[in-house]
Parts: sequence; C-alpha cells; structure tokens
Amino acid sequence: MNENLFTPFSAPTILNQPATIPIILFPTLLILTPKHPINNRLATIQQNLTRFTLKQMMMTHNAKGQTWSLMLTSLITFTATTNLLGLMPYSFTPTTQLSMNLAMAIPLWAGTVMVGLRFKTKNSLAHLLPQGTPTPLIPMLVAIETISLLIQPVALAVRLTANITAGHLLMHLIGNTVLALSTTNLSMALLASTLLVLLTILEIAVALIQAYVFTLLISLYLRNNT
Amino acid sequence: MPQLDTSTWFTTIMTMLPTLYLIMQLKLLNTNHHQPPLTKTPTLQSHNVRWQPKWTKTCLPLSQPQQF
Repeated sequence: MNENLFTPFSAPTILNQPATIPIILFPTLLILTPKHPINNRLATIQQNLTRFTLKQMMMTHNAKGQTWSLMLTSLITFTATTNLLGLMPYSFTPTTQLSMNLAMAIPLWAGTVMVGLRFKTKNSLAHLLPQGTPTPLIPMLVAIETISLLIQPVALAVRLTANITAGHLLMHLIGNTVLALSTTNLSMALLASTLLVLLTILEIAVALIQAYVFTLLISLYLRNNT
Repeated sequence: MPQLDTSTWFTTIMTMLPTLYLIMQLKLLNTNHHQPPLTKTPTLQSHNVRWQPKWTKTCLPLSQPQQF
C-alpha cells in the first residue's frame, strides 16, 4: 500500500535515463520572449503578470534589496509554473523532491544572511535578541533565536515539499475512492467527485500560494538584512 | 518514501541550478517591456533668441548689404 501510494513521487526514468532533466527544463519553454513592441495576447498577458508580480514584490525593498529582483522573480515564476504543471494527471512535479527544494532554499537563505552580516553586521546580529527582554533571559533567548534562524532554510524546503506532496496524495486517494465507488454506490461516488473538484480548485490555489510564500519569505529575510 | 532516495538527488539538483539561475533569468531578462509610443510630448522649440536684431547685422547672412 505504501509502495503504491508513493510511486508518483519517485524520480521518473525513460528507458533507464533520468527524465527529470527535461521535466525540470520544461517550464522555461513556456516563458515567451518576443522581440516586437506589440505582441499577441498570450505574450502580453505574461508580460503584464511579470510586471505586476515584480512591482508587488519589490515595492517594499530599498535600493540594495531591489538588486535581488531578478532572482526573486525567476524564483516565483519557476515555482508557480512547476506547481501548476504538476496538477495535470500522470505528471511529475519536481517540487515534490526534497532535494530540489533544499537546493533552492539553502543558498537563497544563506545569501540573505551573508548580505546582512556583511553590510549591516550590528543590525543583523541585533535581530537575534527581541526588544525589551529582561536581562537574566538574554543568553537563553539568543540561543533560541539562533536556532530559529538556522531552521529557516529547512522549514522553507520542507514546507514546499510537504504541501505539494500532501495535495497530490489526497487527489490520488480521493480519485481512487470515486473510481472504486462508481460501480457499487453511485450517489456516494458523485459526492466524492464533487469533493475531488473542490480539492482540485484548492490545489490550484495551493500551487500558486506555495510559490508565493516561498518567495515572500525569502524577500522577508532579505528585507531584514538590507 | 522515494523522495529520500539520494541516488537521484545529484541529477535533480544539477538540473535545477542552471534552470533556475541561468535559463529562467535569461528568459526574464529578454522580455522587452516596450513603452507605448508617443507617451511623451516633445519639447517645443524654444524661440530664445539672445540677440536683438537692431544692434547686430549678422543674424541673417542674406540680409547684409553686398560688399565688393
């Protein structure tokens, strides 16, 4: 039972060659880069979406933080398209792989911490102690804040992995339920299929929201450190 | 859990790094955000003639009397 449930999340192979390589590269093909001043509707929609998310995200940063805008825009575009493409049946979602999320989260988080430590050392170290703590509690609180700082990249990676994996698992399970019930008890099957429709809508929202949250948190860590 | 099978971790990470940091960023850089044409009103030519025509005769070359 365990083996069958989790097989959609194992890295796919075609004739023993890793198929993860074209699957991860595929979302880049969907970003259009036309050279004309006036484009067709799809390219204009994409362009407007990119401009809108860029403006929303980078409005709250100062000039130093805005040098990260290309990185954060590419991050949110990559994560959102990868999550949305994974909602298609029988597809493989790379963001369910803990390896990829760790490799995304750790360098970006480390980058924000190093930017803070290098340019505003006192301020970034001062974040380790909340204001107004009574003096005897200071050593313990510094330890606690350090641990909460060090756990940020792991939390980022595991949050994205677990949310997308759990959503896909739920859809698999409820889909199998509907299929199994369709022969015996049709009304329950219809009830479960409405549940499936609602769950799919939720998954679309979750796909977008997870991308947003990932990027937002990194930009938050950046703001604290610039 | 197949996500913890570390044999595929190298391939996945090595594919993701150029995709995210290279290809995606190049694609986003190459999207041109053209401004719609004719948004700025062109500055009108300012007729600011510094010299007065009564005390200099060199403003128009053809207005000088011909000298042989």
